[in-house]
Amino acid sequence: MIFRAKGIPTGVNDLIVGVITRNPDHHGESLIWVGDEFNYGSYIAHLSCQSIEASIVPTIANIQALDHLSDGDIVSIGQDGIVRTVYRVNSFYNTILATERCNSNCLMCSQPPKDRNDIPYLFELYRRVIPLIPKDCLELTISGGEPTLMGEYFFELLELITRELPKTDIHILTNGRTFAWNHFAERLAQIGNPRMMLGIPVYADYYQVHDYIVQARGAFDQTILGLHNLARYGIRLEIRVVLHQQSIPRLSRLARYIFKNLPFAEHVTFMGLEYTGYTPHNIEKLWIDPYDYNKELTEAVEFLAGQGMHVSIYNAQLCVMPERLWGYARKSISDWKNDYLPACQACSKLHDCGGLFTWNLKKCSAHIQPVFEDVNLLTS
Amino acid sequence: METLSPRTNRKFKDIGYYAEQQSNYFLLPFRFHRLNDDKEVLVNEVGDHLVVPLGTAGRIIQRQLSIEEDADLYGDLVAGFFIAEQEVPALIDVLATRYRTKKSFLDQFTSLHLFVITLRCEHTCHYCQVSRVTTNKDEFDMRYEHINKGIELMLQSPSDYLTMEFQGGEALLAFDKIVYAIERTKPLAAKLEKQVTYVICTNLAVLDEDILAYCKTNNVLLSTSLDGPGFIHNQNRRRPGNNSYELTIKGIELARKWLGTGNLSALMTTTNLSLDHPTEIVDEYFQQGFRSIFLRPVSPYGFALKNEKKNKYEIERFINFYKKALHHILDYNKRGEFFREEYATIILKKILTPFPVGYVDLNSPAGAITNVILFNYDGAVYASDESRMLAESGDFTFRLGHLDTDTYGDIFYGEKAQALSEVMVNETLPGCSECAFQSYCGADPVHNHATQGSVWGYRPTSTFCQKNMELIRYLIELMDGDPQTRQIFEGWISQRRAS
Amino acid sequence: MPKYSYPIMLLTLRMFLITHTIHVIAKMENQNHIEGNSIFAYADERLFSKEAIFKCLYWYGDHFHTTVNINDGYYQLQLTTAQEISREELKLFLQKLERDLIDFNLRDMVSKETQNVRDLLIAKAFSNGELDEDPPGEISDPVGFSVYENKG
Repeated sequence: MIFRAKGIPTGVNDLIVGVITRNPDHHGESLIWVGDEFNYGSYIAHLSCQSIEASIVPTIANIQALDHLSDGDIVSIGQDGIVRTVYRVNSFYNTILATERCNSNCLMCSQPPKDRNDIPYLFELYRRVIPLIPKDCLELTISGGEPTLMGEYFFELLELITRELPKTDIHILTNGRTFAWNHFAERLAQIGNPRMMLGIPVYADYYQVHDYIVQARGAFDQTILGLHNLARYGIRLEIRVVLHQQSIPRLSRLARYIFKNLPFAEHVTFMGLEYTGYTPHNIEKLWIDPYDYNKELTEAVEFLAGQGMHVSIYNAQLCVMPERLWGYARKSISDWKNDYLPACQACSKLHDCGGLFTWNLKKCSAHIQPVFEDVNLLTS
Repeated sequence: METLSPRTNRKFKDIGYYAEQQSNYFLLPFRFHRLNDDKEVLVNEVGDHLVVPLGTAGRIIQRQLSIEEDADLYGDLVAGFFIAEQEVPALIDVLATRYRTKKSFLDQFTSLHLFVITLRCEHTCHYCQVSRVTTNKDEFDMRYEHINKGIELMLQSPSDYLTMEFQGGEALLAFDKIVYAIERTKPLAAKLEKQVTYVICTNLAVLDEDILAYCKTNNVLLSTSLDGPGFIHNQNRRRPGNNSYELTIKGIELARKWLGTGNLSALMTTTNLSLDHPTEIVDEYFQQGFRSIFLRPVSPYGFALKNEKKNKYEIERFINFYKKALHHILDYNKRGEFFREEYATIILKKILTPFPVGYVDLNSPAGAITNVILFNYDGAVYASDESRMLAESGDFTFRLGHLDTDTYGDIFYGEKAQALSEVMVNETLPGCSECAFQSYCGADPVHNHATQGSVWGYRPTSTFCQKNMELIRYLIELMDGDPQTRQIFEGWISQRRAS
Repeated sequence: MPKYSYPIMLLTLRMFLITHTIHVIAKMENQNHIEGNSIFAYADERLFSKEAIFKCLYWYGDHFHTTVNINDGYYQLQLTTAQEISREELKLFLQKLERDLIDFNLRDMVSKETQNVRDLLIAKAFSNGELDEDPPGEISDPVGFSVYENKG
């Protein structure tokens, strides 16, 4: 999937944000015309694969390809001639990247943080994007970096979404640490959006292991206090556990810790490791074949589910896990980063299986093999 | 206060860097108890437990733990709130929330209201000391003005969820009065937005379809007695014709046909005869379609009161009976059936969940008054069912007042209630204050008074203490020794399986 | 193996001999034993608390008449049978008493050491958050962030 295209800019003096159209009858204030010929109308910009001689609107010309853009997609155009896709109208998986800054530094981070202040720019971008998003958008994910580092901008962003997109579910991925300060949780609660849910990682029941995994001292205590402050205001919470060599040894204890200390969580997700970002660098410390943690995973999942908690398994392949866990496995990987191994084509469960991250094709369980109808190699 | 100390780079650090730079640790409040010859159990202030090798408590307290060599245990102790690395642990507010949650059964105050609607009964059960075989309704049925006043007091309870339970004698002999009471309560409760669950305790002998039709329309639950197979039940529960068992089974079938399986429950009372037949009693419940059984000990009021030696022997017999029955129940579960024992379930909920468990006999503060109140047929108000049993033998210690003369305040906050509140908290009772099972157990001043002549009680000879201490120890030992048993127990406490 | 210098080794040896000798003498005088219908047990005042002694003896009141004296830095415990108990049983009681004394002393140490934090915990449990602590640790990223600043 392509999210970025580059061409030769003309007349681009400022950040441009607009909605893609190729329909000549379609006119509007925030539309960006895509086509080799310019269509006269009220467009804010023109994108073309051809060279354009002169234009009355800001133009990016000589772009290699624009096939990745659908009518209705939202893009940003910079003075550098880069056209970034910020919202894909035909996808269920749209993410707002709130910032690339982060106060943690997880061993297995899939999008390593950057230590530069991108917040004013990104806030300005999304301030303009959000009103353009279709009102029937089902779900938006707010991710980072650590979104709460936006400070007051974080809350303003959420207020804007709540106002503009009252029917959209908002899923915020945060480490939850800032909510250890109660006024932060209270401020979030003031937004009063029942469609908002926070996904917060807890990787161990013991602070030292969690802090090591997220590479931040005090993070565990802050996250647990944050979860409690958020729960106090009835904010919906999801607990996210990434499965790897460091988190597996205490996984069963973590499940019990969650039930006892965080029973208010609406959802607990266990997630397979993504082979991207920092992970390849730290793979010696992180890798364990998912097949080899089936016992621990089964115990944790079945304990929590048995106590009435809602449990899911993400980023995992059905053939690797015991059949009793299939009911918990979700097809969670965003369309654009989802793939299968060649062997999977013969599998009868292909369409029920979440498959792999594209980047996990080169680092995955040695036990992936097609499942044939009525013959399950793992049930015995 | 947070500090601004930006890291210089994002170089990964090893796990040792993330240990608190503390030379030693601090203790958090916890208690311990010897489980068997190899192990002991530690229990923290909010009731989380950890089974460890014998001698571990001593090592912890005397600072003999090594962060490196005992890494797993050390992690368990910090994560489990047994020790902390700061004098005031970082997560003390989380622990406080958990403490508050465990005690939150108090927020609702009294919810269970027992109405002894009549003392008349057609049974002459040998362990019952209160019922009368008589047709004298005037003397032994609850009078309308007392029913009215009882309802008035019940609706003054701060609880939004009330249970109105009709007892006897045989409550159905005064079914007209039950109907009167329910019909009177319905509109009043609706006005106050209180939800009332109605329960009739009955031996089912005089059950008919008219009664069931009324129960069905008004969502009235039935609670009956089944002591085991016919030869035990009929021996315990005497009536003319010696057919109590047959009538009960017929009643159970009929009630289920009208109300569904879930709206009829059964209780068993253990007697001397039962003590020799644990498996037969369990089988009987299973065969009759029940998926739970409540193994209740002989009530102390059946004991030779204040005879310590005999009581001790009796409770030992009961404990053996209980263990045999529990094993038999576990065998059903191991064959894939869901079948649970209720007393174990109550204790296990206290051991394994973070939630409050408001069971009258195992609460601290005690369930009497704070959880249950009883309006007797003659208008007297008692702290619990056991309290009125005592009164029948001439002991009015726990008579809190009378419906004719006393207000809500007189009864619930009066002199007697206040005096009782001193001994209702096991955190402060001798023998209990240091006990590892304190948070799984309760205070029962009524039982103490009945069996030992003192509301404080004396733990070394208390049958209440002997029973609970051993059963709690045993349940923990079973769970620790066998993962399958642990899983079965976790299934019993599950929120998902409320049957 | 840690390396000790010679004088320190000598000192350690001397210390060992002194404490060991005291221990042996004390043992001779205050040896726990059974005599007739009574158990006699001794506990060093410097090591055992009064609370531990009494909380322990509480549990023996069903079988024994109990008395406690203090003599020469030792609690002297005498437990005399209230009913007929065999000598074998008495031995088991003595063994249990020795174990219980240690356990109750440990319990008392926990009680005393955790009194403050326990009081604080219960005060917090029945408060409305006004006693909440400030969260621990740092929160910032390398760019600089504070929860008390308005804009990131």
